[in-house]
Amino acid sequence: MTKTLRQSGTLLGFAAIIVFFAVQLPETFLTARNLINISQQLSMLAVVAATMTIVMVMNDFDLSVGSMASLAGIVAATVFTMDYPIWTALLAALLVGAAGGLFNGFLVSVIGILPFVATLGTLTVFSGLAFLISDGKTIFGRDIPAGFSGFARGGIELGDVRIPFLTVTAALVILVCWFVLEQTTFGRRLYAIGGNKEAAHLAGIKVKRLRLLAFGLTGLGAAGAGLMYAARVASANPTQGSGLMLDAIAAVFLGMTMSRQGEPRVLFTLVGVLILGILDNGLTQMQVDSYIREILVGLIVIAAVAVASFSKRR
Amino acid sequence: MTRHLTLAVSALALCASAAWAETVAVITPYLAQPGTQAYVEGFEAAAAERGWDVNVIDTAGDVAAVISRIEDAVVQNVDAIVINVDPAQVGVGLMAAADAGIPVVGMDAGSDPLVAANVTSNGYGMAAETAVYVANRINGEGAVVMFVFDAFPPVQIRGVVADAIFGNFPDIEVLDRVTPDVSDGGIADSRAKMEAILAANPEPGSIAAVWAAWDQPALGALQAIEDAGRAGEGIVITGIDANPQARDAIAAGGNFEASIAQDFNGIGSTAADVVARLLAGEELRESVIYVPTMLVTSANAAE
Repeated sequence: MTKTLRQSGTLLGFAAIIVFFAVQLPETFLTARNLINISQQLSMLAVVAATMTIVMVMNDFDLSVGSMASLAGIVAATVFTMDYPIWTALLAALLVGAAGGLFNGFLVSVIGILPFVATLGTLTVFSGLAFLISDGKTIFGRDIPAGFSGFARGGIELGDVRIPFLTVTAALVILVCWFVLEQTTFGRRLYAIGGNKEAAHLAGIKVKRLRLLAFGLTGLGAAGAGLMYAARVASANPTQGSGLMLDAIAAVFLGMTMSRQGEPRVLFTLVGVLILGILDNGLTQMQVDSYIREILVGLIVIAAVAVASFSKRR
Repeated sequence: MTRHLTLAVSALALCASAAWAETVAVITPYLAQPGTQAYVEGFEAAAAERGWDVNVIDTAGDVAAVISRIEDAVVQNVDAIVINVDPAQVGVGLMAAADAGIPVVGMDAGSDPLVAANVTSNGYGMAAETAVYVANRINGEGAVVMFVFDAFPPVQIRGVVADAIFGNFPDIEVLDRVTPDVSDGGIADSRAKMEAILAANPEPGSIAAVWAAWDQPALGALQAIEDAGRAGEGIVITGIDANPQARDAIAAGGNFEASIAQDFNGIGSTAADVVARLLAGEELRESVIYVPTMLVTSANAAE
């Protein structure tokens, strides 16, 4: 009973938030346009959070995703300035993301550094690289090809509504993460590692290699989100992704309050992302002070996790 | 728990929703910076007089979130949007506002076809004022060291104007045109560069003045000159922006003699005027609106 309450508490809270905004903002909140806006605004966070879930399944962490997102944007923009085609730039940025993620995985699983410390280190390294490559400057204007920034403006026309490409991209990434984590042996092994690393090792799971790969995927996701961000703002700045990391971790934590054993699940992470994004959107429309908004978001994360751990103890 | 919070939010919202009035969203990633705070305060004061409902949104450095908040404001159907961010980076949001017919006004934001008007200080004017101050103080003759930064357009234009003014005095020689490394804030490297120039020109009087395109190099040059024991030579230093550290140095009455203060509050209140004109249906002819600046010398630095 308490378990059900715990699992559904966050979902009820989510529903309450939606109902609350729907009542307060009857004309604007539940409109197709606003919901599409929210989905687009959240797309970058959704990608980072979904791929962050992959390492958090193993009770690991990646603090470097924000600076990796910035670095990926800078790498792509720098390649753009050298007049290479768009796909080369995207590929370069994604490769940098995967390489950076694998490097994190190497530090954590092969060298054996605590993920918190290892990725705190690489956070600084990636951020430093982004500054170094860009000379600390924002790359924008003619350097960013219209085809690239146009991606963030375009979408798939479905009758009256247009589903933005960014939303579609995020949905695909979530789908892939869900499939990998919940429908493949790779994913089940990651959950086994998260359950008990020693037992997983004794059961013949190649823990080191899997952790390495998982971090690689998280890095790749962070780079993808960084590219989406750069397309949306039609520019690249060495710090622009830094806000993504904490929100992504918060979203995964919110999601963890909804699963049976408190383990991260991609679809629950998505609910966490939606809670954060809907609060931002709704409270802005209600003209709540942006600082009060920040306090509220923090309190809601704490409240959800507190309720979950409280009922778990009983 | 969540529901209690939700109740708290609704209580807040009820307090916040004032009687029907024009709503203006002010959106910036830079509210933590003193200049931006002053713009916003100036805007809020002017808006309060007009009875507008102003929603100030700070995205804490996140530029993509500015786009999101512009989209939110468009959905909310505000009457006008004021931004303090480079318009080139938030083009998607500006297009959403343009589609909805909501005017966008910039506060020191940069020019863009989708911004009805940008309210800012005249960088050309500021540079002219300090460069002429230098030229007059040294009676139109002597060697001048310039600190410039051509990679950043708003500072680049200052250098161009100073070049023209010094070039117009036949007896003024530009000894060096230095671009300091600004990654540490600009003071330390400017100081190092100035120390090298002082060492290369040891004769008293061989450097008449230092013109800096902003305050940090002026402060660095001041430190170098004082530490080299050459403060008594009467080298004139000027900066631009009149930040608090520069004001202190100017008030102390040493070599750092002048800087230019932008009227940040005035930029905010002028932005409110521009919004009012747009809401009244006026078509603006000029896309950049300048707010007067003020020369700061030891006479008024303490104000």
